[in-house]
Amino acid sequence: MRLTRLTVRGVRNLADGTLELPAAGAVLLGANGQGKTSLLEAMAFPVLFRSFRTAMDAEVVRFGEPGFHIGVAFEDGARARTVAATFRLLGRRKQIEVDGVPTRRLVDAAGAWLAVVFAPEDVQLAAGAATGRRLYLDRTLALADPRYLATLARYRSALAQRNAALRQGRADLAAAFDLPLADAGAAVVSRRLAWVQAAGEQFTTGLVALGEQSGEATLGYHGAVELADPAAWGERLVQAAPRDLARRATTVGPHRDDLDLRLGGRLLRDYGSTGQQRTAAVALKLLELDTIERATGRCPALLLDDVFAELDPERQARLAARLFGGRSAQVFITAPRPDELPRGLALPVWRVSRGQCQPGD
Amino acid sequence: MSTLDDLVTEFARLPGVGRKTAQRLAHHLVQQPGERLARLAQALVQVAERVRPCTVCGNLAEADRCPICLDPRRDAGLVCVVEEPAAVASLERAGEFRGTYHVLGGRLDPLSGVGPEALRLEQLVARVRAGGVREVILATNPSMEGEVTATYVQQLLAGQDIRVSRLARGLPMGGDLEYVDGVTLAHALSARQELR
Ligand SMILES: Nc1ncnc2c1ncn2[C@@H]1O[C@H](COP(=O)(O)OP(=O)(O)O)[C@@H](O)[C@H]1O
Ligand SMILES: [Mg+2]
Ligand SMILES: [Zn+2]
Repeated sequence: MRLTRLTVRGVRNLADGTLELPAAGAVLLGANGQGKTSLLEAMAFPVLFRSFRTAMDAEVVRFGEPGFHIGVAFEDGARARTVAATFRLLGRRKQIEVDGVPTRRLVDAAGAWLAVVFAPEDVQLAAGAATGRRLYLDRTLALADPRYLATLARYRSALAQRNAALRQGRADLAAAFDLPLADAGAAVVSRRLAWVQAAGEQFTTGLVALGEQSGEATLGYHGAVELADPAAWGERLVQAAPRDLARRATTVGPHRDDLDLRLGGRLLRDYGSTGQQRTAAVALKLLELDTIERATGRCPALLLDDVFAELDPERQARLAARLFGGRSAQVFITAPRPDELPRGLALPVWRVSRGQCQPGD
Repeated sequence: MSTLDDLVTEFARLPGVGRKTAQRLAHHLVQQPGERLARLAQALVQVAERVRPCTVCGNLAEADRCPICLDPRRDAGLVCVVEEPAAVASLERAGEFRGTYHVLGGRLDPLSGVGPEALRLEQLVARVRAGGVREVILATNPSMEGEVTATYVQQLLAGQDIRVSRLARGLPMGGDLEYVDGVTLAHALSARQELR
């Protein structure tokens, strides 16, 4: 996958216009607050049509503008394609086009363009709340398999309907949605479990390869694993019914599950050092990249936001080897100064200044 | 001009019509000859006065009963349950079905505040209890809410001595497999038929 053109209008502090981008990618150099992260944010937006920085599209809109437009033109093997998103604050409407054709369903557009972002806030994957890890899991699986996204959307709408009924105190009406909830929910749990099982060993070896030697790292699934079977839902939902009604929300299902990350048997979230959490987060992002590559047979662009600045030189070298070795991905990498980049990176240098981006040296 | 603005506002309330289209429609209309506008106004007034739900099936009617319920050649033992009158129109256009209908007036949708009491469910049960119905065909939309509504109706009719069936879900005719979404394909696969 190679991004050839990026068009932005009304995005953060970025200047409106179109950039023609080098096939290899580029180093994006610029002082803080110039727009480097915003540029990566725009490049990554049309992957799943959401920002990696915020769940709110409105925050991406430049202050005072009515909305934003982001379009990417890219090469997928020999095929030249385009994906675009237009968001309007009025009515919070998001329109999506794939190859110039408007698409109503996200499933038909998701993952046409593929990129994986590495950013400093990834450390929250190991250090932060369960929400971030669920989002990571769902994004990864959605990009690996569009059917997962369709199933997840179905699960979410069944859950939303069921919770709405519970808020109205209508247990009977809520129960009417048990069937699609169980059906889609079981598929979500089983797909997630299969992934965790397949990825576990790679997570363990991944941390060693990144230089973490203080104990064995493990990846597990935290949740009711028996719910991978749709037949197991009935009893669980009946048991939970009084509690669901009291809390006015569904308390059973994969929307409450989590990834279980441990180092030497201890939860990384509670006992890991910041360095260990950072390394675990990088290992998870590498897993995301490998999962998508293996499932799609395509090579996502790498968008690296100030990631090397956070690591010591030893880990910088290990991560660089893992990212760039044996892969000819297009790479966009930001840094405030050239000396914060890994050595031997042969990429054209572009300068980012006050939202303008252009080749320079 | 507030008269024109009122018209634009009314148009903008229609499904699928945004502010811009509403404006275009309104400006188109005011440039038409007065008699055309009068005919349009007359048609609207008549719809408001005459069209009402059929007391039997809930379909659109201009009398107590709709033309389908009044037609003696239609098989009243066969009742096809749909969400909206528009579905009756599509099924009638297909021309295959010789039974009668029951229009629910929506589907279970708690997020929009629609529960069972907002649908014409009691009337359906009453129709079945009154006797003469052999089969109820559930033809709600193939959406999640449509499926849930169908299951709900099915359970409601569980005690009755009638056949309850569901419209088959499958592939659109004249389409290319490549362009069929995964959910439809999965349904079509699980509901596959043996060839003899
Ligand atoms: N919605 C917005 N509209 C306009 N400017 C914004 C918006 N959001 C953030 N900014 C500004 O955009 C600038 C660029 O931010 P960022 O891309 O994070 O810079 P960098 O990564 O180069 O440090 C910052 O000065 C920030 O204050
Ligand atoms: Mg930044
Ligand atoms: Zn009728």
